[in-house]
Amino acid sequence: MRLFSTLVRADIERCLNDRRATLWQMLCALRRELGLQALLVYRFGRLLAAGRRRLLAWPLLPIGWLLYGMAVFLIRRCYDIRLELSADIGPGCLVRHFGGIVAVNCRLGARCSFGQQTRIGRDAEADGPLIGEGVWIGAHAQVWGAIRLGDGVTVAPGARLNRSAPAHALVVGDPGRVVLRYDNSPILPAHLTLERPPETPASRALG
Amino acid sequence: MWRELSADARLYSALRWPHGAGWLRRALIWWLSPGLLVLGVQRLSHRYRLQRQERGWTATTVGLRLLLALGFPLLVLRAKSHVAATTIIGPNVYLSDGGYLFLGPQRIGGGTLIHERVTIGVRAGEDAAPVIGANVWIGPDSVIYGAIALGDGVTVLPGSVLSINVPPATVVGGNPAKIVRRDFDNSGLRRSLSHNVDQRMLAGP
Repeated sequence: MRLFSTLVRADIERCLNDRRATLWQMLCALRRELGLQALLVYRFGRLLAAGRRRLLAWPLLPIGWLLYGMAVFLIRRCYDIRLELSADIGPGCLVRHFGGIVAVNCRLGARCSFGQQTRIGRDAEADGPLIGEGVWIGAHAQVWGAIRLGDGVTVAPGARLNRSAPAHALVVGDPGRVVLRYDNSPILPAHLTLERPPETPASRALG
Repeated sequence: MWRELSADARLYSALRWPHGAGWLRRALIWWLSPGLLVLGVQRLSHRYRLQRQERGWTATTVGLRLLLALGFPLLVLRAKSHVAATTIIGPNVYLSDGGYLFLGPQRIGGGTLIHERVTIGVRAGEDAAPVIGANVWIGPDSVIYGAIALGDGVTVLPGSVLSINVPPATVVGGNPAKIVRRDFDNSGLRRSLSHNVDQRMLAGP
């Protein structure tokens, strides 16, 4: 397991488009990005799970688990983001938006990204998807089963995938099929929000 | 804007209480209907954005800003939704009370009905959002994205993933979505929301 602070730093900087950020910018990002809050709680839970093997950490664990339990409860109730400790999420993950997100029994490489209503893995299946690095998973997509996704795979919004896909593939539709090779590097770093650039004259006239 | 907001509230309370509602119910509807909350916060944020650009900081913009500082967290807690301030939403729009709405189109025409767990937004890495026409029916679990236009009276079947242009009065469905049927009148579908629906829903814009 990597150092907790390294993982947290990678997650926050991913949210800030990989710029070196000041502490104030990091705190602003944490306030704004609900997915980041959920991810940090998940990281804290993984830290506690790893602390089981360290005798010196034992006195601190009960209070840690108590805090973690409360935080997870709030995040599930308020944001509906469920990042289970059985999921192994690599550094620099980006959770876009919130609501209906589940990651369980799966493994995600570094710099992955997924959005609202995305389900990765299933509770009933002990071995879930093994997902490579730099994989972009669209909103409302579902990935399940003992499958492997190569590096740089793009899962289109709404796709349902329970078959393996090679590296740099674009997966579309229900059932998900590989349509072509696709370079997802332009959409990985950009932090995409719902906000549009300044509006058109038409909206100004109607307002 | 206040007139729009009260018209929305009247529509929602007429759907919930067909036999009329007293002042208490009309006040409570803002808390009872998450869909109305989404609509209201969107209209406020749209107005705030325009006023802020035109006039800068005035008493109105400060007030709106304070209201939105309360409204957006409430939107997350109550409706699990997020809306873009840039969207122009027409009159008599009905958003589902089921929540999980992520709405960022350029425009939503009047009389449109949007069900729960719907995402409308840009294609990743691009800037152009969809334009939704009037009297559109959008089923639950749909995703609509890209620089596309949905004509008036379009029906999007539940679970569709739509990224193509749709001509007026067409039914689209599937993942990826295809045109299923043409010249379909969806007023019956929009009426099915409630067995005793207010006629304003059907009147459109």
